Amino acid sequence: MKAAARPPFRARLRALLRPPRTLSVTKTGRTYLVVTLGVGLGALNTGNNLLYLLLGLLLSMVVVSGVLSERCLRDLTVRRVGADAAFAREPFAYRWAVSRKAGHGFALTLSEDLSPLVGTGRLGYLPAGKELVVRADLAAPHRGPVRLSGVRVTTTWPLGLFAKTRVFSLEGTLLVYPRRGYACREPGQAETGPRGESGSPRHQDGTGDVAGLKELAPGEDARRIHWKKSAAAGRLLKVEREREERRIWKLALAPGLTGDALERQCEEVAAQAHQLLGAGHEVGLQLPDHMLRPAAGAGQERRILQALAWVGFEDVDAITKQEAA
Amino acid sequence: MKRPLRLRLVLRDLGAGAAFGAMAVSGQLPLWVLGVFLLSLVLALCDVRLVARHSRLSALLLVIAAVLLGLRLTSGAMNAVVAACAFAGLISAQRMLSTPDAPADGQTHLTGLLMVAGGAALSGDMTYALCLIAFGVLASLSLALGVVEAAVPDGEPVPVRSVLLPLSGGLTFAVAGAMAFFILFPRLNWAMVGPRSAPGFGAVSSAGFSDTVRLGGAGTIKSNPRVVLRATLTPDPGREELDAYWVGRTYDTFDGQEWTNVVGALRTERQITLRPASDTLLHQRVELLPAYGGRTLVALESPSRLGNAVALTPTGTRASTVQLHGGGEVRFTITAPAYTYEAYSLPPDAKAVTASGLRSEERDQLLALPEHLDPRVAQMAAQVLNGEKEPLAAARKLVSHLQRDYAYTLEQGGPQEDPLADFLFVRKAGHCEHFATALTVLLRTQGISARLATGFFGGARMDGGYLVRAGDAHAWTHVFVPGRGFVTVDATPPSHRTSQGSVLLEKLLALYEAVEGRWRQSVVDYSFRDQFELASKLVRPPRRPAEATSTSSRLPPARAWVTAAVVAFLVWRLGRIVARWPRRALRLEATRFLDRVDAQLARAQVQRLEGESLEDLTPRLAREGHPLALALTPLTRRYLEARFGGRALREGEAEHLLGTLRRALEAEAARRTAEPTGQAGPTARAS
Repeated sequence: MKAAARPPFRARLRALLRPPRTLSVTKTGRTYLVVTLGVGLGALNTGNNLLYLLLGLLLSMVVVSGVLSERCLRDLTVRRVGADAAFAREPFAYRWAVSRKAGHGFALTLSEDLSPLVGTGRLGYLPAGKELVVRADLAAPHRGPVRLSGVRVTTTWPLGLFAKTRVFSLEGTLLVYPRRGYACREPGQAETGPRGESGSPRHQDGTGDVAGLKELAPGEDARRIHWKKSAAAGRLLKVEREREERRIWKLALAPGLTGDALERQCEEVAAQAHQLLGAGHEVGLQLPDHMLRPAAGAGQERRILQALAWVGFEDVDAITKQEAA
Repeated sequence: MKRPLRLRLVLRDLGAGAAFGAMAVSGQLPLWVLGVFLLSLVLALCDVRLVARHSRLSALLLVIAAVLLGLRLTSGAMNAVVAACAFAGLISAQRMLSTPDAPADGQTHLTGLLMVAGGAALSGDMTYALCLIAFGVLASLSLALGVVEAAVPDGEPVPVRSVLLPLSGGLTFAVAGAMAFFILFPRLNWAMVGPRSAPGFGAVSSAGFSDTVRLGGAGTIKSNPRVVLRATLTPDPGREELDAYWVGRTYDTFDGQEWTNVVGALRTERQITLRPASDTLLHQRVELLPAYGGRTLVALESPSRLGNAVALTPTGTRASTVQLHGGGEVRFTITAPAYTYEAYSLPPDAKAVTASGLRSEERDQLLALPEHLDPRVAQMAAQVLNGEKEPLAAARKLVSHLQRDYAYTLEQGGPQEDPLADFLFVRKAGHCEHFATALTVLLRTQGISARLATGFFGGARMDGGYLVRAGDAHAWTHVFVPGRGFVTVDATPPSHRTSQGSVLLEKLLALYEAVEGRWRQSVVDYSFRDQFELASKLVRPPRRPAEATSTSSRLPPARAWVTAAVVAFLVWRLGRIVARWPRRALRLEATRFLDRVDAQLARAQVQRLEGESLEDLTPRLAREGHPLALALTPLTRRYLEARFGGRALREGEAEHLLGTLRRALEAEAARRTAEPTGQAGPTARAS
């Protein structure tokens, strides 16, 4: 699979040639400009000085709008806080930290520039000397590393006539995990054979919660004797503990898959891993080129998701991998 | 749905109200539209959104209103601009009362903008400027709050105060920018004339002339302070109070109840000549305001020529011909709320004016008396005159008698069968029409030709011209003196000839008129000519009077110095800004150099005190005899020179210095490695 994380050359060239500020006219602004044009034509046609006065006010408001929006975007500092976990095709929380040294910022809209991430974060008011975290619900169309080139900060302040945008150049990579939908297939059989406590026919010799006390039978492990209770009772009592039903699964990604089949397989494996790890089992992952040893817990799930996210993007450079990690 | 900010909606609705006010001050909108909008505004301010639940009904009502306005438009009862403005007001009212969502907000602001533009076409009053600024400020605040409100997450407060502060500054600049644009934007034609024909609120047209003067009418007009006429005189008399007679027309026939004329319309021309001109005519540029409400041209006694009239109609200005009527009355042929025209009058001391301009029917009527005149009138005249036959002397005797024995009053005792006899023998009190009628009839009983003249008396100085109020309406007598023609004689007591209204009200209105006059002169009538003159005044010093040139200095005027100072300041500021860029670049280069030095020192693990800068570190190392001091000293000096001394680092110099430092650091590291443990040489203050 090709390395889709890096923006195409045309996008990078466009970013290079882009002016420091971009301006677009809002719907309200279009109406405003049309009315201004009409008033201007009326003033020129009729010679009515009051229309000239009105035209002057309308044009001045355009200029003031430009100045105030520029002041709003100037002296702004943006850094990425990032996301805890980003899953493909489902909204995830993403954060930026915004601050400014002087002046005020109003009606700021933040988004990732030239990236497939969809969604914006909004900030109503940014006072000077204070760093505020802007949260956005973003969505990524596919899994894998997403190359981030910059943060777009847009404001429609003060009148909502124009949307002025400034792009802060911030290189980075966001690793998007595969979507965790429902697993359509069973994960298969767990690892067989006694390993740890699994597979033992006895159920009260585990290492879990205390189930009760019982007289020690001959041949049983003396390490289970509860000495205080035994002394009080005058006979040897052993502690019975519940046995944990933890099993081991080794999930595997079928080799040779590409395109949608690979995506579906990754999502399936992610869902299975999530389900099994949530039940307290140990899960390992067999990938075409390497293997994750079975383990339990949230950390293992993250490792599995990361491994799945990189499948098909192995040729991405090391720096990107380091950033994504 | 997120609940909108109440303050924003109030500002939006008030802005729409100000925009509607810009149209309403013209007084041309139908009263029902005015009522509907005001009611809607009050309901909207009370947050009662009626249309939110009855949108279809309101749309139907709008369609009905559009049809009604269309019918009035097609029937000619209303012009297109007024109809469009009225409909915009109704749409705005409907939008204000609808659910306050984003489309409704945008449409309210849009209709507000259209209403302001419509107001510019309807009204030239100064109040328009106030409404325009109010709309600009209120609508901008509302828009800005809307922009911020949309970005604030649900449940969090909108920072209203933080929004208002920077926006207020921006709005101030916008108003200043609008004025600058207005002044500087080149006008494409020479005659820039704004709308000035709006009758305005309360402009009851009460000073106009009628075809008759009926005795016993109410004298309430004498207390009306509204300005009906503005005039610029050439040569300028320069007096504060002109106290002159502005004649409109005369009456020659009295039937005991009312005055009329025997002759009707005579001829229509662009300019009417009433009397032969002399060399010293008094030129008047007159503007009749909507409060005048008549079509009769008014000029100073005794008018010689009137014409060059322009009717200021709601749809624009139109040249109007004038028509001569009996009694020397000249009328506009076009009906309009306001007019401008030129008049020439004979100076007060002009002689050799005859009654040759009168038609024979009019001459015959100068001695006509009412059919049933009370015989006591003639007896009284004979008794007062005591045989005096000279017309002017006789008139003065009668004037003295009337002013001595009769009182001035505006109160009337109701309709009388013989109002003249009632005035002379019963009430012995009346207003100017009674006095003038009494004098005219008394003179006629003694065979002296006379007629009644009506118009205005007064003229208050205002901004280089004179203005006349409705309360200055007056009546007086023209006595025919053989060899001199008609001479003005006024029987009304002098103190009651001018307006009888409240002095305070008149002063307030005079102040308003002064500002309004400036507004018209500076804004409504601002033209390319004014721009040219403004530029000329800035470039060339104004001409001084001849007597002052010999004593004054040849230096340019103060405004030239001020202009030069402002330009110099702007150039200096611009220069500072431009000069800051390369200096900033130099500083940036030096700072980057310092960053690289710090990075090298950090990599070499040179110990530094907390917050110790390079310029502090170098002397400390030198004091301690550290080998690095040799490399750091020239480097630090060059950094300080580049950063603060204006001596930029030469090309490659930074690399050279950094290379020296790197080699010194490597040598120091090698030396420390070679030395046995416990015999460390001098360090950069190991801590």
